[in-house]
Amino acid sequence: MTAILTIKDIRGGYTEADILNGISMEVSRGEIVAIVGPNGAGKSTVMKAVFGLLKIRGGSIDFLGTDITGWSPNHIVQAGICYVPQVENIFTEMTVQENLEMGAFLRRGDLSAAYDRIYGLFPDLVSKRQVVSGSLSGGQRQMLAMGRALMLDPKVLLLDEPTAGLSPKYMEQIFQISRNIRDTGVAILLVEQHAKQALAFSDRGYILVAGTNRHHGTGQDLLTDHSVAEMFLGG
Amino acid sequence: MMFLDLANFYLIPGIVMGSIYAIGAIGITLVFSIMRHTNLAHGDMATFGAFSALALFSAIGISPYLVLPLATVIVGFLSIVIDWIFYEHLRNKPKILTTISSLGVGLMLRSVVQIIWGVNTTAYVTGINKPYKILGLKVKSTEIITLGVSAALVIILILFLNRNRWGKAMRAMSNSPDLALISGIDNRKVVALTWFVVGVLCCCAGFFLGINTELKSMMGWNILLPTIAAAILGGIGRIEGALVGGLIIGLIEEMSLMVIPAEYKAASSFVVLLLVLLLRPTGFFRSKII
Repeated sequence: MTAILTIKDIRGGYTEADILNGISMEVSRGEIVAIVGPNGAGKSTVMKAVFGLLKIRGGSIDFLGTDITGWSPNHIVQAGICYVPQVENIFTEMTVQENLEMGAFLRRGDLSAAYDRIYGLFPDLVSKRQVVSGSLSGGQRQMLAMGRALMLDPKVLLLDEPTAGLSPKYMEQIFQISRNIRDTGVAILLVEQHAKQALAFSDRGYILVAGTNRHHGTGQDLLTDHSVAEMFLGG
Repeated sequence: MMFLDLANFYLIPGIVMGSIYAIGAIGITLVFSIMRHTNLAHGDMATFGAFSALALFSAIGISPYLVLPLATVIVGFLSIVIDWIFYEHLRNKPKILTTISSLGVGLMLRSVVQIIWGVNTTAYVTGINKPYKILGLKVKSTEIITLGVSAALVIILILFLNRNRWGKAMRAMSNSPDLALISGIDNRKVVALTWFVVGVLCCCAGFFLGINTELKSMMGWNILLPTIAAAILGGIGRIEGALVGGLIIGLIEEMSLMVIPAEYKAASSFVVLLLVLLLRPTGFFRSKII
């Protein structure tokens, strides 16, 4: 498989201090890639770096053959990468439908096909169309956040801790929906606290420590690797 | 007869002033919810708008109302330019810097008005504007037009914010600027659009203040405090709140004349502001921002 998103030896941070000290990873079409690791490893920071929300001081980010290092979020969205942050990922004062409409802000013309697709992926949201999204439950919020990011038909979807604070039932549901999204050809790169579950459901995984790559491999390999299990997955 | 006196001397002028405050307060609330700072230049932008309309009226003639749309466009673009020059480079700094900067912008605008048009009181049209009598109520044509145009502005603005794609983008950015950015909404365009809308509202507030009272270089500065009080009273970030807040402040100011001398009229809105901040700092309609 050829990678559509390639991160090469990226270095950078929010201020002067570097949080990422040379991280590399690849994501290919139709796969789910999990980033796991201890707190402060720079998991979420990698996503922000891809999305142009970080000062990048070295390395490069390549998307479909174009160097997108240092692009503004606007242009990255336009290129085909969408991002779901961990918090503040929906417009709480706006209805579910308006949230999706804002997700498709860059897209002109008739959006009905896009709405149908999203409501098809997230049937729980159908009855909530006109509901102000601030009143949704945690799981529904996460679905809406993912739906908003999918409105532009991205080629890569970045999910920052999509299951944080969700019940096991919703967690399983979010994972299942992510597989469905992957099967439509979207590449998913996600950060997870629940390392075991995330590796079990992902195609591949990267384990980061202190802003560098430590291990990578298929989800299954990482789960069965004893050194990985002992150090990062609690035995 | 008692009620008619109350209505003619206090309620009608109160509602007219209130609708002027409301239009100003909606502008204050828009700036606060999208740019996150208090625009202390708001009153002087209104003054500038009032005098631009005066200049256009003296050049073109016919009726001051006819030049109003042109004046609003001028002030709309002026406020975009002011943002580019004075506020944009402060966007990622603490908001108090932008607030102080807006105070300076206000002083500059006032000086420009004083240099071009002088410090003396003037008016769009001189002479007596005889009120109509409707069921014993005395209403001037300027008052009817003020209320009509204000209502139309509020309705158009609410429709724009709820139906139009860019209006919704303004709400989105007010709700969460970071999420708006990563949704692909160009924050800089939304900021420019907001300033244009705010400029139009300022210009209308200044124009109607001028046409119902008189034009002077301090007119906008004098209504800044009640306008901010109206925005806070309604709950900052809420259009409907600013509307109700404006009307209440206008009515309270006029009604206060029943018990206090006219020189202290301005103090009444100050008292209201203090009470709101002490008793219900989020305003009538719970503020969306604080």
